[in-house]
Amino acid sequence: MHFSKSFLSAALLLAAGIADAASAWSFDEGTVSVVSKQGGDGLKEKLNAKKPLSKPLTFGSSDTIKIALTAKDNGKGKRPHQAFVVLKDVDSGLEAPFPLTTKDTGKAVGQISQKDIPVQLLLATKPLQASVVIASFGSAQGLNTHLFDLAVQLDPNAPAPAYEKPVRYSKQPEIHHIFKADPKSPPRIISLVFALAVLATVPALFLGWFSLGANIDHLSTAFGKAPLSHTAFLGSIVAMEFVFFLYYSTWNLFQVLPVIAIVGAVTVLSGTKALGEVQARRLAGQR
Amino acid sequence: MKSFLSFCFLLLVTLVSAISSTGDRLLAVLDDVAEKAGYSKFLGDLESRGFKITYETPKSESLSLFHLGERKYDHVIFFPTKAKGLGPNLTPNLLLQFLNQKGNILLTLSSGTPAATSLVSLLSELDIALPSERTGLVVDHFNHDVVSAADAHDVLLLPVPRPARDDVSDLFAAGAPADTPIAFPRGAGVLLGPGPLLTPIVRAPATAYLYNPKEQAEAVAADELFGAGAQLALVAGAQARNSARLAVVGSAEMLSDKWFDAKVTKVGEKKEVPTYNREFAKRIAGWAFQEIGVLRVNWVEHRLNEAVVGANVSNPEMYRIKNDVTYTISLSQYSWDKWTGFTVPANDDLQLEFSMLSPFHRLHLSPDPAHSTPEATAYTVSFTLPDQHGIFNFKVNYKRPLLTNIEEKNTVSVRHMAHDEWPRSYVISGAWPWIAGIGATVTAWLAFVVVWLFSRPAGERVVLKKTQ
Repeated sequence: MHFSKSFLSAALLLAAGIADAASAWSFDEGTVSVVSKQGGDGLKEKLNAKKPLSKPLTFGSSDTIKIALTAKDNGKGKRPHQAFVVLKDVDSGLEAPFPLTTKDTGKAVGQISQKDIPVQLLLATKPLQASVVIASFGSAQGLNTHLFDLAVQLDPNAPAPAYEKPVRYSKQPEIHHIFKADPKSPPRIISLVFALAVLATVPALFLGWFSLGANIDHLSTAFGKAPLSHTAFLGSIVAMEFVFFLYYSTWNLFQVLPVIAIVGAVTVLSGTKALGEVQARRLAGQR
Repeated sequence: MKSFLSFCFLLLVTLVSAISSTGDRLLAVLDDVAEKAGYSKFLGDLESRGFKITYETPKSESLSLFHLGERKYDHVIFFPTKAKGLGPNLTPNLLLQFLNQKGNILLTLSSGTPAATSLVSLLSELDIALPSERTGLVVDHFNHDVVSAADAHDVLLLPVPRPARDDVSDLFAAGAPADTPIAFPRGAGVLLGPGPLLTPIVRAPATAYLYNPKEQAEAVAADELFGAGAQLALVAGAQARNSARLAVVGSAEMLSDKWFDAKVTKVGEKKEVPTYNREFAKRIAGWAFQEIGVLRVNWVEHRLNEAVVGANVSNPEMYRIKNDVTYTISLSQYSWDKWTGFTVPANDDLQLEFSMLSPFHRLHLSPDPAHSTPEATAYTVSFTLPDQHGIFNFKVNYKRPLLTNIEEKNTVSVRHMAHDEWPRSYVISGAWPWIAGIGATVTAWLAFVVVWLFSRPAGERVVLKKTQ
């Protein structure tokens, strides 16, 4: 059953092929030649509708491609309505048609130079695929076949043709902001060593002072003579440092300023008395 | 009472929106009003979708697109007219003004009647080119209908139009049955300029070409070919920046009753198949008259995405640099008679730009089911603001072929760090020696004050003798 079915379809196909062969477009005496402007003997190749040329033709910047063929309808020369050579960029699928000039006998000629080719095709990376379309009205089946490949060589001395892609609305590449690097600290151990070194200067300073004979022997004398002013004076100096500490930790400037004013006033008022007592000791030769 | 009123309003809204999203007043311009009989199915389909059609001829005195500066019609459809001009009521200038006021135009061409000069000027204004004789005939000796055009090859059979790019929504071919071609009888084609506002909807097959039957009956001369292959657009759409739409249908005949019901046969096949014309005509008119491919922004919300006081305020005017924020946008798409959620086409991307002059961030917005409903889809993204203060925009610029342009911009200020928002110096290990230095200075100062106040002279003074 299967066999008979496939046989039947094969027979049908064959019949269709015969029917088509009865009226189909083809061409004869097809040639393609690359004519160089320098007058050199150009390359000339015969074209075959069944099989494209095996090697791509090299198409220099000053060359002209000449295509000549005789279109035939069912073996007789006849003028087709459509006789186009189509160049196609295999990657993008872009095509450019080049109509051939036809005569009543079916003779068709056409020539292509590089300036006729759209810039998108000139910049194609692969060789352009050249095919021919020969067709006309009526029942005859048209011909659309690959003839040869064309490797475009741009003029190395002239600037390459510029092509800017047209704007198309589509998604755009993502952008992620690159943040500045966070500030970095040296290793903690180094900071710690230097912090301790700084703190160690305080006992070193005290030791130095004591070795030079610094003392607080007059503490009781001073407090005995002016207890209130000395307490207030010393206390205000310590309080001032405490205000600075609060400013560092929590307070803002407007909380700090009135307190500094009060503490400063205490320092000035008590300082006159306290420093007067110190002066008295100096005048008495005790300093 | 209030809920009843709002129910009535909702009902009204649904009744009104049972047709195009922008309005139902449609003007049909024909040479002779009797010609509408030939398009009865196409026009009947439009009427059944809720359009109120007014038929006019270009010669009519009462025809005008505007009344007191406002549009009288929401949409216009032009069938081919024999007159060279369309009279003083349909000048290219008025038609452009109609587009500028968000009116939509469906324009049909025919190979038999040259397009009116007014329409040619309108098209050239949009960078759509017609041949210089204002019409032409597209033939294809390889893809024609062998039943009706066995010799003339002027009834093209085209596959249902898939989008040329894989990231464009498939409005015209989605759900189409396989192997039902579009018949394109005796039509003209146009060439589109390179602008992004133009979209070819149906392109000619590679072997098709346009010629002038009067002058190029024998052959097409090499330098007189207007267009061939895929560069010829048989049906094209143009969407202005204000989302007004203009569709050009190369063959008015493809909208006629005859081709809705026709059976066609491809070259080399025996089978007769029905055409896709009726569905395609519905969709191209639906696209032009804002029934499909219409997008709407329902709401936009951006907010702080941090566990701090004030984080639940919507759309604040100010942020700080490096704040974590969340942006959500809700989009709906109109589909014939109702709003539905908008799904971004596969391979496409909805993107949020956070920009000051140029974008600092351009991020993918992903669907957010928690805030989506059947009528609206929410898209969201969370990100960290850049470390740059200034006036920034949250910008969704979603412009795609065939879809309504969306350009949603919300401006916010981004301030720099306040002095008390930095980490404290004792947290920074590099600052420890300096803090220790201050501590040492304070201690030494207090000790110095005490020593200076209460010190007794230490023993005898060392007197340096002068050495003589």
